[in-house]
Formats: sequence, structure tokens, C-alpha cells
Amino acid sequence: MATDEHNTGEIERGPFERWVAAAITNPERAYRSMFWVVTIFFIFTTLFPFYWLLVLALTPEARLYDAGLVPAGFNPENFIRVFETIPFHVYMFNSLVLATVTTVIVLLLASLAGYVFGRLDFPGKSVMMLLILAISYFPPAAFFLPLWDLFTGQVVPGLRLYNTPGAMVLPFSALFLPLSIFVLTTFYGQIPDGLEDAARVEGTTRLGALFRVIVPLSAPGVATAGVLTFIAVYNEFFFSFLMNNGQPENWAPIVGGLLQLQRSGQFESTFSVMAAGSIIAVLPVAILVVIAQEKIVSGLTAGALKE
Amino acid sequence: MASEQAPRNEPRQQLNTGPLAQVTRWMESLNETQYAYLLLTPALVLLTVIALYPLLDTLRMSLFANSLTGGLGDFTGITNYIEIMTGQRTASLPSPFLPEAITVDALFNSALIVTLIFTVVSVFFETIIGFGQALVLNQDFAGRRWVRVAIIIPWAVPIVIQGMIFFLLFTPGIGLFIGAENNPTLLQEWGIFGQTPLANTTESTLIVIIADIWKTTAFMALLILAGLQSVDRNLYDVARVAGASKWQMFKRITLPVVLPSVLVAMLFRTIQAMRVYGVIEVVAGCNTVPSLSCLVITTFNQNLFGSSAAIAFMTAAIIGIMTGVYIIGYAREEV
Repeated sequence: MATDEHNTGEIERGPFERWVAAAITNPERAYRSMFWVVTIFFIFTTLFPFYWLLVLALTPEARLYDAGLVPAGFNPENFIRVFETIPFHVYMFNSLVLATVTTVIVLLLASLAGYVFGRLDFPGKSVMMLLILAISYFPPAAFFLPLWDLFTGQVVPGLRLYNTPGAMVLPFSALFLPLSIFVLTTFYGQIPDGLEDAARVEGTTRLGALFRVIVPLSAPGVATAGVLTFIAVYNEFFFSFLMNNGQPENWAPIVGGLLQLQRSGQFESTFSVMAAGSIIAVLPVAILVVIAQEKIVSGLTAGALKE
Repeated sequence: MASEQAPRNEPRQQLNTGPLAQVTRWMESLNETQYAYLLLTPALVLLTVIALYPLLDTLRMSLFANSLTGGLGDFTGITNYIEIMTGQRTASLPSPFLPEAITVDALFNSALIVTLIFTVVSVFFETIIGFGQALVLNQDFAGRRWVRVAIIIPWAVPIVIQGMIFFLLFTPGIGLFIGAENNPTLLQEWGIFGQTPLANTTESTLIVIIADIWKTTAFMALLILAGLQSVDRNLYDVARVAGASKWQMFKRITLPVVLPSVLVAMLFRTIQAMRVYGVIEVVAGCNTVPSLSCLVITTFNQNLFGSSAAIAFMTAAIIGIMTGVYIIGYAREEV
């Protein structure tokens, strides 16, 4: 009788109950499943907004109110309308040029400073480092008014950078220089002195030793600083928004383009186009993250823990 | 890169007469300190012109009255600060700096309080969720690389696109979270959001907080992960042999080692969160959620330059004090 009951009980157990029984006897299994549930939850929360942008972008404008978790209809034309509504390619071009130019400037200045902090000893070294660190923490809003005066030619007559790349590249460079300095200081400091000395004995000048020995040997560090700067500039909002009038011919980056799409939404429904534009504009950084994720991880951690 | 050309040619050709050669020879003759400061000059000039001078000039401008004709009015000392703090200036400001009353609406309408609410709430949740993400990334499993990409990607999204995503998510009828008038979503039926959350200060603040958590938790996770990876794995084996539970191992081994990097990450994020501006501008507009940086820009747009500079400098001072605490801790660690 007892065995019978036991048998029927065993048969009635569903897959879930069997899993619970196994988990009780073997806790590792429960931890493992919990781990996967949590992981899937994180992936879902971070990636879902992108999927949903795609849903909006593919839904024809007229049927937007029917769109839910899947597109209502299929209208890839929205991606073309982004470029028909506004010159979006010009905004993209501006963004990429601003990010590239800033990255070059930052890498050059940060290489010099990183060499100094990583390899030289001199009085005032830690004071200088702390000064650079402190400046980098102040909010852009605290710099805005004087920079506005400066860039609209009210301080130095004739010097008018507003609506030119300079009005954005200069603040970007100053804003993101400290992070690169700290990343490069770490990398340059790790090159053995003997290599630099050997180059100097061979007759290389001081700067030659930096740019032909230290920098090439620290290529991964330079790449890390470059990727981080590029992403940071491409993502910047404050000066990208305030240091031009939002017109593509005045070097407005994607901030200007997407806000213009948003504003034109007051007159006609452009939600699908806004979603499509966002997807197009996010592609360069998304690709960069996939390619350079190791560099981003190491750079962010090295930079922040150093800072 | 002219300076790079010089070393390549000069020493071998023995033509030590050109200006480049002279510069090179001069640089070789400097002692280490002089050379160090020479190389630092470009970075220091840039930071002085773009950050240090503007910071001091903001302080100078904040001591002058507003002038409706453009530019600055008369020198008035700290009047701007006094009037902003005591509320006498509130009538002319787009939003008050300090709350006018202790009600929910008044608190959320105050630039200082709404910024603090935003900062505290988002950093709190970013720390907890970031810790969870770091624990996941600290495991060895197939596909770890791709999970890490998925977790980092929001961090790399431009602020304007982050704003666009959450603007669209909460647009009535279009957005997934806000239904059309006749078709409210669950979030609305529970009373968390009304019909037009993007025009409501409290609800918009919540949306901006969610947007910030979504984007910057990854940063927190990476810093905590770095701390986790410095834990000696042998300790876990020892603990397991000693019969410790997972929770005990976490509390006694993981947490003490990770806590310093968690605190650094939290302070770091606090300083960043205090400057929030872009995502507000895109999602709800600076008049709906008046953060400190927002208030600087809205007063600037109304030509209230004196008030704007005073608010900007107070924002800088608040963040400066936090930075000071951090840097003093950092300096102590160095010694």
C-alpha cells in the first residue's frame, strides 16, 4: 500500500516539481538556475529598449497606435525618411569628425602628460595630478557662461568660435583629457626604463624616444584611451547642444539632428522616424563596443580606480 | 608633428643650424623638471582656458546684478547668492533654487532638491543593480563575452538617444508604458503614471531616474567587477571546506574586499549625477524637471546672467566639496 502511494506520487510530479526536488538535494543546481534567471533578466532590461526602438522604426507611422511588442506592419522606408526629413548624414558626418579630431588632440596632449606623470620625477608632480583631477570633476554648467562669452567673441574681439567645430572640440578635449592622461600614465609607466635608455643611447631625442619607443610599445593603452575618448565625445550632450544653433551647416552633431526630428514631431507624426534615426546614430558606438569591449572594460576600470 | 621630424634627421645629418635643430638642442639641455613642465604645458594651457579661467570668471560674473539689456549689471557683491537662497529672487527665476514649501510639488520644483533626489535614488539603485551585474560577470560561463557586451551597451549610448528612447517609451499611445486615453496600461492603473507623465514634474523625474539607471549601471558594474576580481579565489575554497554557506562567503570574504571600490564608484557616480542635464532636456524639458544644470541654462536663456552665474557657481561648489572629500581620501591613500 505504502509503496503504491509512493509510486503514484512520483508519477504525478510535473517537471517543475521534479526540478524542485533535485534542487533541494543539490543546491548547486538551484544556484545555477538562479544565476541564469538573473542573467537573462539583466540582458532583457539592457537590450529591450533597442528592440522596441526597432519595433517603432519598422511600424508605418499611421499604425503606430497598434504597435506593441511586435511591429504593426513592416515599413523599412522609415529609415530612408530620416534622411529625407533632415540632412541626417551631415549630422552624422559632423559627429564623427568632431569625435575623431577631439580624439587625436586628446591622445597627443595626454601622451605628453602621461609620459610626464608615468616616467618623470619632478617637484609638484602630485599637486599637478590632483589639479587635473579636480578640474575634471566640475560640471560643464560651471564653465558655460564664460565660454559662451569667449566663443561668441565678447572677450577677444574677432575670435568667434560659436557655430564652428572649435567651439565644441576645445571643451570636449578639456573635458575628456584627464581620463586619457590617467589611462596613459598607467601604461607608459609600465615600459621598462632600459628600452627608453637604449633608444637614447642610439641617438634618439627625448621626444623621439616618447613617440617612437614608448607610444608604440603602449599601443593597447593608446587604443584604450582613444576608444574611450571617441565614445565619450560622440555621446556628449552639453556642449554639443549649446555651442551651435543646431543647423547641420554649423557643425551640429547628432544631438542637433535628433532634436530637430523630435521638434518636427509637433507638426506631423514622426515617432517612427525618430526611432529610425536613433538606431542609425547608435550604430557606430554599438559596433565599437562589440569590437573593443576588452579595451573599454580595462580602460574604465584603470581610469576610474586611478582617478 | 613637426617636433617628431626633428629627431629623425638632425643627429645623423649633423646639420645643426635649422630652427628645428635649435629647438631640439634646447629641449635636450633642459633638466628633468623643466622638461616635465614643458611637456605638461599644452594640457595645462587647454585646461586653464577651458576650465580654470571659466570657473573663476563664473565666480566674478555671479557678483554682478542681472541686466535686462544684455550683459551684466552693476557690481552687487554676494546679493545674487543671498536673494537666491532666501527666495527673494524666486519670482524672476524659471524655478526656485530652494523649495518654497515642504510639499511634494514644491520639493520637486526646487532645483537643488530635485537634483539631490535624482542623485540619491539613481546612485542607490545603480549600486544594487550594478553589484548584481558584477556578480554575474564575475562567473565563468559560456557566452560571458556577449553578456558583457549586452550589459555595457547602454553605457555607450549617446545621451540624446537615451533621452529619445525614454521620451518615446512614455509618449501617450505610442509608448509601451503609457496607453491612449481609452486604453490605460497597468502602470497607469496602478496609479504610478498619469495620462501625460512627460508634463508632470514628479513622474518625469521618475522617468529620468529610470533612464539614468538604465544607462549608467554598467559603469558601476565594471568598477565593482574590478574589485571582485581582486578577491583571492583560494579563500572561497577554504571557506567551502570549512562548510560556509554562499551567503557567509559573500558577507565574510567578498564584501570586505569589494567595499572600497564600491564606495569609490558611488562617489564617482554621485559627482556625475549631480550634473544631469542632457537626458532631462530630451525627455521632459528643463522646465518640467529643473535640475541645477538645467536652471543654469534656463536662467541664461532669459538673460539673467548674474543669477545664472551664481547658480552655476553654487552647483560647482556643491560638487567641489564632494570632490574635495574624495581627493583628500585619495591623497591620504597615496601617502
